[in-house]
Amino acid sequence: MRLLLVLLVLAVAGEPALGQGGVAFTPAETARILQHGPWPQPWSADASNRVSGAAAAAVFGEVLFFEKRLSSQGEFSCASCHTPDMAWTDGRARSRGHGLADRNAPSLLNVRLNRWYGWDGAGDSLWAQSIRPILDGREMAAQAAHVGDLIRNDQQMSCRYRQAFGAPPSSDDEAVLVDIAKALASFQETLVSGRTPFDEFRDALARDDREGMARYPAAAQRGLQLFVGRGNCSLCHFGPNFTNGEFHDIGIPFFAEPGRVDSGRFDGIRRLQASPFNRLGRYSDDATGASSLATRHVASQHRNWGEFKVPSLRHVALTAPYMHAGTHATLADVVRHYSELDENRLHADGERLLKPLRLTDAEIADLVAFLETLTPHQPPEFTPRVAVETKCQ
Amino acid sequence: MKGVGVFAVAILAANVAQACAVPVSGAGWQQLESSRYVVAFRPLTTPSVGQLFALDFALCAKSGALPQRVRVDAQMPAHRHGMNYVPSVQTMAQGVYRAEGLMLHMPGRWQFLFELSADGRTDRVTAPFDLDG
Repeated sequence: MRLLLVLLVLAVAGEPALGQGGVAFTPAETARILQHGPWPQPWSADASNRVSGAAAAAVFGEVLFFEKRLSSQGEFSCASCHTPDMAWTDGRARSRGHGLADRNAPSLLNVRLNRWYGWDGAGDSLWAQSIRPILDGREMAAQAAHVGDLIRNDQQMSCRYRQAFGAPPSSDDEAVLVDIAKALASFQETLVSGRTPFDEFRDALARDDREGMARYPAAAQRGLQLFVGRGNCSLCHFGPNFTNGEFHDIGIPFFAEPGRVDSGRFDGIRRLQASPFNRLGRYSDDATGASSLATRHVASQHRNWGEFKVPSLRHVALTAPYMHAGTHATLADVVRHYSELDENRLHADGERLLKPLRLTDAEIADLVAFLETLTPHQPPEFTPRVAVETKCQ
Repeated sequence: MKGVGVFAVAILAANVAQACAVPVSGAGWQQLESSRYVVAFRPLTTPSVGQLFALDFALCAKSGALPQRVRVDAQMPAHRHGMNYVPSVQTMAQGVYRAEGLMLHMPGRWQFLFELSADGRTDRVTAPFDLDG
């Protein structure tokens, strides 16, 4: 009997992690699953933004986010394309302001965790990215002078600016534009998504809580096994935020319209390096320069043509349609893209990681089931700050 | 006797041509060798996916002078791509350098590459590095 007990203990100690429905994760798969957490991630301020994390700036930024007068004709605000009840996107394939944009509006949930901003990474800070749609002729189509005049001449705007920055807005329009972008960034930093069924499973796996693991649906477990295994999805959709923050060519056509291409990261690097608002410029508040390391070392390479940023997969079920131009309507369409990948569409010097996965219908359904568990049971609801509702004194 | 003496000098000369002392000490250095140089390197922090890091390396020349130009890079041979960043190299001391701005952006088998150029020739040495993910 004693020998039988010893053998039983040894057998249990050596077996792979087992979830409900009999999905047995190998030690290697378990390690890959665990690197997708913990969640939430700890806070860290943006050194290039002196009001990063500041409450008064976040309040001012929230007011600005919904302010249509920031646009040239008073028609559009940031919230026009980043709507709170649509997971801070707009549900369109390509966003529309004064004109049709080339790209899909990404969700702003967890946006502060990015290293690069925009599908092409032309922004290296959240505040630099916040300037771009204000000035873009297809989006809000404004100019620095227009923004400066609004902030200086509107009593509430001027009051909130003073509360956020400790001084009234100056006559330097560009400097005022940068400051309101920093306030916008300070607000957007507060947009975070909560814990998900995947996070509960991941943490249960970490502590070998079999009961906790068993609450995670079997289909999602099978999909997760594909995600970290044969699918190789976790190589690029890496880490707690399910993105390595870098850029890849995955064979999505990059024609914005007949005769015009969207080169993605290739042009993004050029725009980044030419921008007066990058972390190397005079508007960065980081006197040490430590936070500009990536900007200093980023390299333009031929293979950047047609590369776009790896998006986070957190709350992905809420942010259809998908890909940089919204070409894929559903998560199943996205998974089928990888299943049936046309290697001829990849650049000759492109990623050799990508091969058609040739998934069955059941495997596609399992992967989608897993991706759906990256959304909280209760999708985030936006509640305006009390200070926003009251007049600035 | 004279023949033995000549033979002994030849052996000593051959040994000096093959070895040199890299000017570093301590743990964690990985050593590589080309026809003209010996390289020792170590990352300042343990590389992790998608995080910028720096790498110290030191050289000695088996004979002659140190290289006039040094370059550091990393690539994933199986995926046919390198890094998205070009490291900068600064000289810390004679034969001692620091490369900054490296990033390995996905888990798997990488290869560090050191290019050491002098007199119109470039020695290339590589070292594998497995990045867990």
